[in-house]
Amino acid sequence: MHSAPRMKIVALSLAIGAAAANAQTQAPPAPGPLRPYVFPQVNQFQLANGLKVIVVEKHNLPEIEGRLIIDAGAQREPAEKNGLASLTGRLLSEGTADLSGAEIARQMDALGAQYQTGGGYSTSFADVVALKNVFPQAMQLAAKTVMSPSFPVNEFTRVKNQAIAAYQQFHARTNGLASDAFVRAAFDSTAPFSRPPNGTMASINALTREDVVNWQRTMYAPSASTLLLVGDITPAEARSVAQQAFGSWSGTRVAAGPVVNPVHASSGTRVILVDRPGSVQSTIIVGQPGFQATDPEYIPMLALNHVFGGAVSSRLNSNLREKHGYTYGAFSGLDLRPGAGVFQMSSDVRTNATDSALVEAIAEYKRLGSETVPAPELQGLVNNLVSGFPNAVQSVQGLTGRIQNLIIWGLPLDFYTTYRERLAAVTPEDVRRVAGSKLTPNNLVVVVAGDLSKIEAPIRARNLGTVEVWDSNGNKLR
Amino acid sequence: MRLRVFAVSLFCLVAANAGAQTSKAQAGKSPEVRIDYTQETLPNGLNVIYHVDHSTPVAAVLLWYNVGSKVEQPGHTGFAHLFEHMMFQGSKNVGKNQHFALLEAAGGRGGSDINGTTNWDRTNYFEQVPSNQVELALWLEADRMGTLLDAMDQTKLDNQREVVKNERRQSVDNQPYGTWLEKMGEALFPEGHPYHHSVIGSMTDLSAASLTDVETFFKTYYAPNNAVLVVAGDIDVPQVKQMVRKYFGSIPRGPKVPALANMSVPVVIGHQQRYVITDQQAPAPAIYVGYRVPAATDRRAAAVTLLGDIIGSGRSSRLYDALVRRQQIATNVSGFNLNLSSGADELIFIATGKPGANADSLEVAMMAELAGASSFTQAELERARATERFGFVNGLQTTGGFGGRADRLAEGWTFFHDPNHVNKVLAEYDRVSLDDLNALARERLLPTNRAVLIYVPAKKTASADTRIQ
Repeated sequence: MHSAPRMKIVALSLAIGAAAANAQTQAPPAPGPLRPYVFPQVNQFQLANGLKVIVVEKHNLPEIEGRLIIDAGAQREPAEKNGLASLTGRLLSEGTADLSGAEIARQMDALGAQYQTGGGYSTSFADVVALKNVFPQAMQLAAKTVMSPSFPVNEFTRVKNQAIAAYQQFHARTNGLASDAFVRAAFDSTAPFSRPPNGTMASINALTREDVVNWQRTMYAPSASTLLLVGDITPAEARSVAQQAFGSWSGTRVAAGPVVNPVHASSGTRVILVDRPGSVQSTIIVGQPGFQATDPEYIPMLALNHVFGGAVSSRLNSNLREKHGYTYGAFSGLDLRPGAGVFQMSSDVRTNATDSALVEAIAEYKRLGSETVPAPELQGLVNNLVSGFPNAVQSVQGLTGRIQNLIIWGLPLDFYTTYRERLAAVTPEDVRRVAGSKLTPNNLVVVVAGDLSKIEAPIRARNLGTVEVWDSNGNKLR
Repeated sequence: MRLRVFAVSLFCLVAANAGAQTSKAQAGKSPEVRIDYTQETLPNGLNVIYHVDHSTPVAAVLLWYNVGSKVEQPGHTGFAHLFEHMMFQGSKNVGKNQHFALLEAAGGRGGSDINGTTNWDRTNYFEQVPSNQVELALWLEADRMGTLLDAMDQTKLDNQREVVKNERRQSVDNQPYGTWLEKMGEALFPEGHPYHHSVIGSMTDLSAASLTDVETFFKTYYAPNNAVLVVAGDIDVPQVKQMVRKYFGSIPRGPKVPALANMSVPVVIGHQQRYVITDQQAPAPAIYVGYRVPAATDRRAAAVTLLGDIIGSGRSSRLYDALVRRQQIATNVSGFNLNLSSGADELIFIATGKPGANADSLEVAMMAELAGASSFTQAELERARATERFGFVNGLQTTGGFGGRADRLAEGWTFFHDPNHVNKVLAEYDRVSLDDLNALARERLLPTNRAVLIYVPAKKTASADTRIQ
């Protein structure tokens, strides 16, 4: 519009191009014959102390990942000790009876091993990835930190301050503010899922070294843990590594029941606004709680998510980015946890388009239930999941992550042997049905974090639902 | 014990002499890595590298164009990257949004398998797909290399200009400390040097980009003779060679690419630089220190990387031990080099203060540690080497997509004119001695060869909800 002279030049070049080129457009080449892919065998056994061991072989590189997951995630911590599972997990690598944190770090780095410990919502973990020739030693050192951590006083204070700093850094960003507000709004305040898994400023501050010692002593036990060994390792080697590393682990724990996560009862869409003055972009999240991987409709829900925003060519990104230029990217996903989950879209959008982006995102949400997905659109997106699966599990990390999810979500270990076939069978009617039964487009949780002096009035004018303004801790301001 | 020797000989990896040795000896050896390939050059100048690995039914197509933000002229910063976005907007036989739609429907995951990236030195485009879809990826790459301008229009440019501005907001303007990379380039390279300005570019220059710019840039840099194509994975080489000829063979050779500006800079900057930045969004102070060091194509490049590791990378590094563990003034540190290919590279160290830390104290502590960065020990060197060894093998797990084997082969050709470079990387790390490290530190880690950026939170006291007790 403002560049008419430039347009003239381009028109010229198009004419030259058209004259020189073949006028007929080509169709894309057809695929060759599909080459077979078989998900690797998942072997499992148990040590005498009750530790479950799962082995997945992948021998094309001399690399192995060992991941211990313990049923001691933030979901099991008392509300007033929010952040305890995470803090305890982080502290594992900071000292044992005979090794300081610095010495553990030096030994792991000398092996070239990547070593991480921590605690998430569902589990606490210790994770080692290393080349095969040093893997048994790295795993043994990691096991020692899990079984007999000493939690030195000075390291406790330091790591606690690091946790507080991480919280502040997270809340200095619009996506951190928005994602914490989203789960607070979506779930009842008694639900563990409503709390940030790493804790809040106040709750982390209140944690003591004694809390950490007790948590490790009462919650960490071989019978409540699973060791995943993935990569260039045979079941026989795995048995020997697991026995050497964890064979001496004793201790028992009372079996813990499922965790209950009641959702926030509300009628009608709620719009939660969190202020971050000076923001040139806002993070928007639109979604709802209450979906689990064990739901019989999990597979059609995955297909539905992919139509909505699971891929680059899905509806959200095509609309918010490619059509309107509101954002660098817009995606959706199922954030699944045992006993609960959320289905949500999120995007960072430019400040003066925040209200328009919300309107488009909500319209796409509603369209999932009001229109049947055209068969070619569904087929392409489902095939993205089906045919792209082998790409995603080329690395030990990719494989380990997927096996871990099965355990956490309570899905059978042979889930992936029929996964692709079941996805490929999903029809447009299935997606329409699951949209009707699972989505509540008139009862959404909408969260926006951004510069309220610029975005609050335009958002209110859109009449998307009941508007509330919160501080960064979930307290309602107005 | 010898670890398995691969039956698939074209991609071969052997870790030697593990077994009954002590931990030090085990950790102290590099696995022998060999990635086999064949190479040819088409009459139009396109270099093609083939690498076969049948272990999983995945194939990767990857193109590196020898063009990055370093070719941009004043007033056009950010254009190489904006242009990369335009390459996804369709070509003669491919409609807007169809590039991703076709490849995602074929089984490539947008983002991780299907993407394009631009840096200072090069622009890459890649597709990792089920191996029976390799022809689709080749066809799409050839169509945009041959016919991009047939489908270009102002609406597409205006749309992607907005998308890229949002990318800049998301990665720079809306993030705490988001401007550090831009400011560091401006400080370490003189005005007018190709590495002086950022890859993402300025909002003003992005606004000024025109369709004429798109056309000129395409005709200047996007030709077969300025690119390397890698086809890797579960492929039949004779069959793929036919496809490459069919789709790329008729694309005409482009004119000779203009020579780069002079990339060379003095070894040492020669004066001290210190900048204080008040950051409205930062919750804690942070110090970013950048040194001018030998470029990624220099024979000392491996030593540069190891120096960064020893001083600032990981929980056994010097900065972590001093600032995070002992003095407890910082909560995070890091050390790494940007891998710039010509003239000089940037070696970066970052320390993020603990909540409530005083920026001056953090700066003093960090400078003291950097001032003493010499007299490295063999143990430190071995740890850094072990880290790089693992990282290298870990990065070879994927066929293509982000990183992976295809990317390593293309990098070797573009920067070293040697696809076999990938098979020499570990030996480069093995060769570095303590004397090399100490000499490098003595020559380069000088106050007169660095820029110090000090980020100070605008809000001196944290808000009520973020106060520490």
